[in-house]
Amino acid sequence: MNFWTVMVDRFPYFASLLLKGAVMTVAVAAGALVLALVLGLVIALLRMSRSRLLSGFAYIYTEFLRGTPALAQLFVIYFGLPDIGIELRPVEAAIVGLGINGSAYLSEVYRAGIQAIHRGQFEAAFSLGMTPIGSMRYIVLPQAVRMMLPPITNFSITLLKDTALVSVVAVPEIMFYARNLVTETFQSMHVYLLAAAIYLVMTIPMSRLVAYLERTRRAWQ
Amino acid sequence: MPRLIEVYEDNIRDWFPEMLAACVGTLKLSLVAFIVAAVIGLFVALMRISPRTSPRWIAISFIEVMRGTPALVILYIVYFVPPQVGLTWLTLSSFAAAVCGLALQGGAILAEVFRSGIEALHSGQREAALALGMTPAKTMRYIVLPQAMRVVLPPVGNYAIGLLKDTSVCALIAAPELMLRAKDLASSSFEPMAVFCLAALFYFIMSYPLSLAVRYMEYRLARHG
Repeated sequence: MNFWTVMVDRFPYFASLLLKGAVMTVAVAAGALVLALVLGLVIALLRMSRSRLLSGFAYIYTEFLRGTPALAQLFVIYFGLPDIGIELRPVEAAIVGLGINGSAYLSEVYRAGIQAIHRGQFEAAFSLGMTPIGSMRYIVLPQAVRMMLPPITNFSITLLKDTALVSVVAVPEIMFYARNLVTETFQSMHVYLLAAAIYLVMTIPMSRLVAYLERTRRAWQ
Repeated sequence: MPRLIEVYEDNIRDWFPEMLAACVGTLKLSLVAFIVAAVIGLFVALMRISPRTSPRWIAISFIEVMRGTPALVILYIVYFVPPQVGLTWLTLSSFAAAVCGLALQGGAILAEVFRSGIEALHSGQREAALALGMTPAKTMRYIVLPQAMRVVLPPVGNYAIGLLKDTSVCALIAAPELMLRAKDLASSSFEPMAVFCLAALFYFIMSYPLSLAVRYMEYRLARHG
């Protein structure tokens, strides 16, 4: 049978399952992104704190998580944690694993963004009588966010692609359905190409967005 | 926690040499994939900056598709599809498929890195070389690339770190590397926590020196331009 007849013939079936997986992919990516954004900010603030203990902890945290594969972290969380009595369901393990992994990246993005703001901004806020937290919240972060938008979007693209890994802990996302479909129908080429196409439909607009954000950032700098 | 230490005391003698051997597999895979990716990347970057439309569009599509797809999908396509559709000559061993899959994606990433390096160079360099009567190819080879090389070293190093970690995904097509061995050890010993933590430590030991080196290169570049 020729490639296109099979593709046209089986498309509704393949697409319906893969799109169901895509919803889960987006949900896992979104959950992990939120966790990474929050945890990353905490780690970044710890890293910049004056206490050697806190900044040392944040340094080790980011270096270790950035120096080890997400897959290994996922395996520790999903297969390892039950050893010490913490059992997570697949989706929870996926969100926690990718979220923690991402927090290490985002903490560096936050730090670079905050440190790119001129010190004078801080000092001016202090001299106007703002507290350190207030000047961080109202003066530095709003400016830093604009700097950080392109790298954070870039990170989201990577995160979306990394969700493919969580199929190995049985989260029913795109690659999980794809693998099942291949075992069922033996049409590996059609199924995997369709899966790739679904990822591309999501990632290419995002990478266009990054290019646009970088252009506008350069424009007002 | 005390139990974990006990597990290590009992098993480390068996696990350590096995994992060390698997690390060699990981390093071998990373190195070969890196070299192939660098060759593909250079080639695609040159196509990407070509003044002619068709090579440029081929390069852009290649880059967008390869960067926008998860490594796992590319690996599955390279490894599982050819045997199933009867392309026997394209049927690869798991190691070869792992190299191809990682290098295809890496080629796209490095192509963008090389391009930005080449474009960061002042256009006067190229114009001066052409004015001296050098051919475009020679200009590229002797004037542009050697200077661009310095600028791209840190991002290339960052890519190498990412690659080293991405080889772990190749365990899913059973390529001989660290994560595959860890999975085997975890299921045979029923100690996943201990085994996967040890595997993570091995990855860290391999990648941390690289990340220090990248940081040093960035620092030097920032200071001396």
